Amino acid sequence: MAMYHPGLAKFLETYGIVVIVVAMMIGLTIMEPMVFLTPTNLTNIIKQNASAALLALGMFVVVVTAGIDLSVGSVMALAMITLAVANRAELPWPVVIVVGPLVGIACGLVNGIGLTWLKLPHPFIMTLGTLNIARGLSNIVSGGAPISGLQPEVRFLGTALIPFSATDPTIGLPASAILVAVSAIGLAYFLHRTSVGRHIYAIGGNPQAARVSGISVDRVLVLVYALCGFFTGLAALLLAGRTNSGFPNAGIGAELDAIAAVIIGGASFFGGRGTVLGVLAGVLIIGLLRNGLNLLDVAVFWQQILIGLVIIAAVYMDVLRRRAAVRT
Amino acid sequence: MAEAGGNGSGYLLEARGITKYFGAVTALRDVNFHLLRGEVLGVVGDNGAGKSTLMKILSGLYQPSSGELLFEGGPAAFTSPRDARGKGIEMVYQDFALAGNMPIYENIYLGREPGLRLPGLTIVDRARSRAMAQAHLDKLKIHVKSVDQNVEDLSGGQRQAVAIARSTAFDARIVIMDEPTAALAIKEVGKVLDLIKGLKDHGVGVILISHRMDDIFYVCDRVMALFQGTNFAEAPLKDTSRNEVIGWIMGAKGHREALAHDKV
Amino acid sequence: MKKHLLVGTIVGILGVASAAQAETILLNMKGPGAGNPFWAAVEAGAKEKAAELGVDLVVMSPPQESDVQAQIAQIEDQLAKGVNAIALAPTDPNALAPLVDAAKAKNVPVVFVDTKGINDGVTFIGTNNEEGAKLAADHICNSVEKGSDVAILQGIITQSTGQARADGSKAGLAACGMNIVAEQPADWDRAKAQSVMENILTGNPNLKAVFASNDNMALGAIEAIKAAGKLEQIMVVGFDANPDAATSILAGEMAASVAQNPKNMGALGVENALKLLKGEKIDPVIDTGTLLVTKDNAAQYQ
Repeated sequence: MAMYHPGLAKFLETYGIVVIVVAMMIGLTIMEPMVFLTPTNLTNIIKQNASAALLALGMFVVVVTAGIDLSVGSVMALAMITLAVANRAELPWPVVIVVGPLVGIACGLVNGIGLTWLKLPHPFIMTLGTLNIARGLSNIVSGGAPISGLQPEVRFLGTALIPFSATDPTIGLPASAILVAVSAIGLAYFLHRTSVGRHIYAIGGNPQAARVSGISVDRVLVLVYALCGFFTGLAALLLAGRTNSGFPNAGIGAELDAIAAVIIGGASFFGGRGTVLGVLAGVLIIGLLRNGLNLLDVAVFWQQILIGLVIIAAVYMDVLRRRAAVRT
Repeated sequence: MAEAGGNGSGYLLEARGITKYFGAVTALRDVNFHLLRGEVLGVVGDNGAGKSTLMKILSGLYQPSSGELLFEGGPAAFTSPRDARGKGIEMVYQDFALAGNMPIYENIYLGREPGLRLPGLTIVDRARSRAMAQAHLDKLKIHVKSVDQNVEDLSGGQRQAVAIARSTAFDARIVIMDEPTAALAIKEVGKVLDLIKGLKDHGVGVILISHRMDDIFYVCDRVMALFQGTNFAEAPLKDTSRNEVIGWIMGAKGHREALAHDKV
Repeated sequence: MKKHLLVGTIVGILGVASAAQAETILLNMKGPGAGNPFWAAVEAGAKEKAAELGVDLVVMSPPQESDVQAQIAQIEDQLAKGVNAIALAPTDPNALAPLVDAAKAKNVPVVFVDTKGINDGVTFIGTNNEEGAKLAADHICNSVEKGSDVAILQGIITQSTGQARADGSKAGLAACGMNIVAEQPADWDRAKAQSVMENILTGNPNLKAVFASNDNMALGAIEAIKAAGKLEQIMVVGFDANPDAATSILAGEMAASVAQNPKNMGALGVENALKLLKGEKIDPVIDTGTLLVTKDNAAQYQ
C-alpha cells in the first residue's frame, strides 16, 4: 500500500544529494573518529577540492545546455603555466592574477565560437580539439618544464587561511572556500533569477523552444563556454597558489572528475536540469570518498572503482527519473 | 466576430502576389489572401503545396522574393521572427516548442520575461510572472493544477493550450497554427478547438493549417487551398463542403461525390 | 590472583604504550607498484626494512605518475592522521615543494626517493645518474678502440635525470678519447629513438657505439641499426636494465645496460627517515648504487 508523497519525492529530488553527503560524513566519523572530524582534516578536504569545485561549476553550466567541455583540464594547465610565466616576467601581481581567468575565458570563447560558427554537431568534438591544443600550448609555453615560485599575493587565494583562533594559525577557513562559496552563490543567482540563466535551462530542455522564443541560442552558448573557461581560469589560480607553480601535467583527467561531480550532483546529461547545490554536493561526495579512503590507507585503485560505480548509479537514477516522468 | 480592421482595405492582414524562389525551385507563385480581425482562416493543401513556406514568410523567418504584405492596412516587412513577434504575429507549432523541464509560467514568458531590465539581461520578477500567467490562463479558460507545474508533467492537450497561451501572452494580433491538433489524443482535440474559437472573441485573427476536415469545419470561418505553390480555391465555410475541400487538396474543383472518403 | 592481574595489567599497559610508540612512516611513490616492477621493488625494499626496524609502513601512490593532486591529497591526509616521517618520490618536484615545507614545519622529516625534489636541506636517496652513465661509458671505452665514432641518445634534457645521464656519459666517453659525433634527444621514447638513430646512421657510416639514456631508447636504436644491417659493428648500451633490455642482452642484441637499485631506494628511504626521526644527521645525497648489466648477469633482470 505505497502512498504517493509528492512532497517527499520533490524534497528527495532536490535535497537527496545533501542527505547523502551528510550520511557519508557521519559514516566517516564513525570509521575514523580520531581524524575525520578534526579541523585539520576538514580544512584539507576543502583545500583539496576547491579547484575541482570551480571546474565542476563551469562544467555544470555547459552540461545544463546538454553540452560538454572536455578541455577544462588542459585549459587549466595552460592558464596556470601562463600566469607562472607572467609571474616569472615579474609582472605586477594584479596582472598575474588576472591572467589566469583571462586565459580561461579566451579558451572558452574559442570553444563557444568554434562550436557555433563552424556548426559542429556536438561540443564533444570541438572541446576534444581544444583539449589537445591547450595541452600542446602548455608544453610549448612552459618549455616542457614546470615554473616555480609565485609572488605571495598571487598564491593568496590558493593558500591563505583565515584562522579560527590566534593560538593556531594553521587551522582556519581557507580563502579558497570563500572563493568557491562566492562563485557558487553568484552562479546560482545568475541561473535561477536572471533571464539569460533561464534561457540556458531552456536551451538544455528544448533548443527549438528557445529559438522560437527569440533567444539567440548561439550567443548564449558562446557565453556558456566562456563562463566555463572563466571558472577554469579561477581553478588554475587556486591550484597555482597551492602548488606554488605552473606545471605542464596539471589537470590531466580533471575534466572527467568535473563531469563526474556534475552528474553525481544530479544534473542531467541530457541538459535542462540540475542545481548548483547539487554540483557542490557531487564534488564533496567524490572528495569525501577520496579523503575517507586515504585515511583508511586504502589503495587508490579502490577509490577509482568506487567513484566509477557512484557515477553509474547517479546516471541510472537520472534514467529512472526520466522514465517516471514520461509515464505521467 | 469577424470585423473589418484598420483603414483602407479594412483587412487585418493582406498578402498580394507573394512569390518565393529557393534557387531554381519556385515554392510560392503569386499567392494572395486576406484575413479579418477575429476570423479563423483555414489553409489546406497537400505536402509541398507551399503552406509552411507561406507561414514562414508571415512569421518572419523568410522574406518573399516578390510581392507585398499589408498589416492593418499599412505595408509590412517582417525581417525576423523576433520582428514579426514584436509586431503581433505569433506561431504555434505542431510539437508545441515548449521547454518541458521548465514550469508553465516560464514557458509562457520565455524570451520576454517580466522584471528589471538591465543591459544584456533581465532580473526576472518571478512573482509577477506567475501572476500574469495565471491571469492569462484564466482569461483563456485554460485549467491547470498550477502554473508551477513543469510542462513535461502536462498532457498533450494541456501543453498545446500552454503553447497557445504563450502565443497570445503579448496581445498578438495574428496567431498562425500549424497542425495544432495533430499530436493530440482525440478527447483533447475538442478543448483546443474551443480555445481557438475563444481567440476569435478576443479579436485575434487565426490562420489554421490543417488537414483534418473535422477541425476546419468546426472552427474556421473561411478556408483557402494552395496547390503547387499558388492559390487554388477559397470559400466561406458555409458555401463549401468537406468533399469539395478534399478535392481542392488534390487539385480538383467543384463538388465531386467521387471524392468522398468512402468512395476514393 | 591479584598478583597475576597486576602483572597482566602492567604488561598490557606496556604493550599498549610500546604499540603507541611504533613510528609510522609514509612511503609515497610516484606511481603504483602494480604493473611497474621498478616501484614494486621500491615498495618491497621498504616493507622489508620496515619489518626489520619495527616501524609501521604506509605505502601509497597516485594512480598515474602525472596525478599531482592525488599525491598531494594523500600526503595531506596522512599528515592529518599523524604520520611521523615521509619518504617521497614526487610526481612533480615543484608542485610538491610547498607540501614538503609544510611537513618539515610540522617536524615531520622528509627524504626524497628516486626523484630529487627542489626543497633545500632535504636528503635525496637515489641513483647517481652521472655515475651510472659513466659506468656505461666506461664499458664502451673498454670494448671499442680509441678514437671511434660514438653517439649519445639523450632523454628529456630538461629533467635532472636526463641531464645527469647525458653529462656522465659525455664525460666518460670524452675522457677515454672517443669521438662523440652526435648527441640527440629522443625524450625517453622508443619510436623517437628509432627515427633519431636512423638519421645519425645516415650521416655517420663508421659509427661504433651508442649510449642511450634509457632502455626504451636503446631498443628503438637497435631497431634502426638492425634495419641498416649494422648490428654486428655497433654496440648499444642502455640504462635501467628493464626486463625487455635483459632479454635483448641475452639475445646478443644489446651489449649492456645499467641497473638502478630500486629495492635499495625503498630500504634506505625507510632507514634514513627513521634516523631523522631519532634526531640523527644523514648525508644530503645517498647513492643507492648502479650496476653494469651484461650477458653474465642479465638473466636476473628479466
